[in-house]
Amino acid sequence: MSKANRRRRELRAAGLLIAPFLLVFTVFFLYPTYKVIALSFTDAPLIGEGTWIGLANYVKLFNDRLFYTSLWNNFYFVLLTVVPTTVIALLIALAVSKLKGRMQALVLTLFFLPYVLPVSVVTMIWTWMLDFQFGILQPLIAAVTGKPVPVFKNPYWVMPMIAVVTIWWTNGFNVLLLIAGLRNIPQDLYEAAALDGATSWQRFWRITWPLLWPITALVLTLQLILQLKLFDQVYLLSNGGPFNQSYVVLMQMYREAFQLNNGGYASAIAMVLFGIIVIVSVLQFQLLRIGARK
Amino acid sequence: MQDTGVHLRDVTKSFGAVDVIRGVDMDIPRGQFAVFVGPSGCGKSTLLRMIAGLEDTSDGQIAIGARDVTHEDPADRGVAMVFQSYALYPHLSVFENMAFSLRLAKRPRVEVDEKVRRAAGILKLSDHLDKKPAQLSGGQRQRVAIGRAIVRAPDVFLFDEPLSNLDAELRVQMRLELARLHKQLGATMIYVTHDQVEAMTLADTIFVLQGGHVQQHGAPLDLYDDPSNRFVAGFIGSPSMNFFEATVAGHTKDGITAQLAGQPDQSFDIPLRHRPEQGTVLVLGMRPEHLMVTAAGGMRVTVDVAEELGGVSYQHGTLEGGEAVIFQQTGARHGMHGTVQTVTPELARIFVFDKSGDRVR
Ligand SMILES: Nc1ncnc2c1ncn2[C@@H]1O[C@H](COP(=O)(O)OP(=O)(O)OP(=O)(O)O)[C@@H](O)[C@H]1O
Ligand SMILES: [Mg+2]
Repeated sequence: MSKANRRRRELRAAGLLIAPFLLVFTVFFLYPTYKVIALSFTDAPLIGEGTWIGLANYVKLFNDRLFYTSLWNNFYFVLLTVVPTTVIALLIALAVSKLKGRMQALVLTLFFLPYVLPVSVVTMIWTWMLDFQFGILQPLIAAVTGKPVPVFKNPYWVMPMIAVVTIWWTNGFNVLLLIAGLRNIPQDLYEAAALDGATSWQRFWRITWPLLWPITALVLTLQLILQLKLFDQVYLLSNGGPFNQSYVVLMQMYREAFQLNNGGYASAIAMVLFGIIVIVSVLQFQLLRIGARK
Repeated sequence: MQDTGVHLRDVTKSFGAVDVIRGVDMDIPRGQFAVFVGPSGCGKSTLLRMIAGLEDTSDGQIAIGARDVTHEDPADRGVAMVFQSYALYPHLSVFENMAFSLRLAKRPRVEVDEKVRRAAGILKLSDHLDKKPAQLSGGQRQRVAIGRAIVRAPDVFLFDEPLSNLDAELRVQMRLELARLHKQLGATMIYVTHDQVEAMTLADTIFVLQGGHVQQHGAPLDLYDDPSNRFVAGFIGSPSMNFFEATVAGHTKDGITAQLAGQPDQSFDIPLRHRPEQGTVLVLGMRPEHLMVTAAGGMRVTVDVAEELGGVSYQHGTLEGGEAVIFQQTGARHGMHGTVQTVTPELARIFVFDKSGDRVR
């Protein structure tokens, strides 16, 4: 068989294999993405055509006080979750990796369990536990602050509490990633270090930490992207309140699109959030890589 | 009496219900090169790791120098270990790998620099100090691992099959370097290996381990010339010794006449001090290199496989009774495959064992 002939056959096979994915990708991702971009330059309602208004939506957005409030709340939430969840996951992973065999599997399952729950169940559980009158956690709060607090109706408590719920919910996955990373570090490195005279503290900082760093950086980046997309927990727990203290960008987009019927404006918000996530996560990943090389 | 070296007293180790080391005594004088050999799974690594402090000792006492270190931390024992896997820190350069212990001890920069460079000089690693382990060849990695041990200037070096990941040529080279290093440093070294040649060439003393005990220890040639039981006889020497069942047919002036069970027309007059009674069943051990091909009568071997190594060849075959035989041929290169050869042993170099495997002398 000639070379050209074989090449043609290979191409046909390749085309056949990627066609299904390409089709789904185009219909359900590429086309909607294009639509959102196009929509963001119009004054269209949620359904139906609008007229081209150029950058007017973006200009309006950058003059929107609420947008800056939302953006700030997003970054506040990132601050409350990304690093804490990684640190907690690392501590749990280190502790769990000390356990043996079946015990380890059991404990790992327990930590992973919340991740399996749907968000509505998670928020339901925590709404009950933190209920102002009957919540079993209220005595604890009362013990610390002196009186019970309706946490999701309190402007100071609302974001940190949503952060706590989110960490509880998603931490298991990070633990899993970090455990996998820890298992990849050969045991004999620790033995060599012990012979070299390293204390357990030094073993952590000189071996575990640098060798786990690629995984830690991955967890940090995944968390950053995930937490910037915060919506469900806010929507279900506090609905953006009180006093917009938990109002976030996706919440604003949701309101504009599905409650105020401003499809064009909502699309512009989505585009800006998308841009922010791309920039911030790429920036962070690069920073982390430089940090690792040093 | 135990002022230097490594001394084990009735040391035992069990993993749960499994006893791996069942009472080992050994004395390794300062500056000696001791080698542990034994079949896979006999506990060589475990014993070495117990000396290093990486495994707890279930019972008994381990002393290094005059100190009882049985329950001390690995770092406080003054030992350095070279792992089979090298265990180099992948994120650190060669220099930092070797400097690791000094950095932990917070030694001054000048001292670190000097010690590492001296070790690198000994091991010919000076040009590679800035590389990461992944950028080195197997032999270089091995040298870095040894360098890391040298820098610590330990009383005792421990090696767990350090050359087994290297190819044959590099192994020979590293073996020589290790021997040289031992002369140069004069430190006590304990070395675990599977390799007969490594054990025979490097060791001052070989410890043959099996079933959780030291079967025999001594200088390499003493073990070869005078094994104290059938296991050691079979283990030391390559290819391993032939064993044939025989019965005592009669007594001579200074020994016995033993009749081969597999070929009753053959009997040998063997010099022995303790003469077992007539009719006793024995096992005769003959090394492949002590069996000579002869034109006269002897043991008839049907050769089925010939291993030609150039200088020597090993002929594998069976006796008439079905017992496996290996004999060595030097120089001659006739295809013996499929033929029947007649061989006779050197009578003075036949080893006699009783049924339980103990040597009869
Ligand atoms: N952590 C452990 N838990 C339970 N059993 C173990 C453990 N480590 C080793 N053993 C057992 O102890 C025995 C001796 O193991 P060891 O690694 O010392 O053998 P070895 O002589 O070094 O063998 P090899 O020549 O194959 O390296 C083996 O039977 C092994 O199964
Ligand atoms: Mg071993």
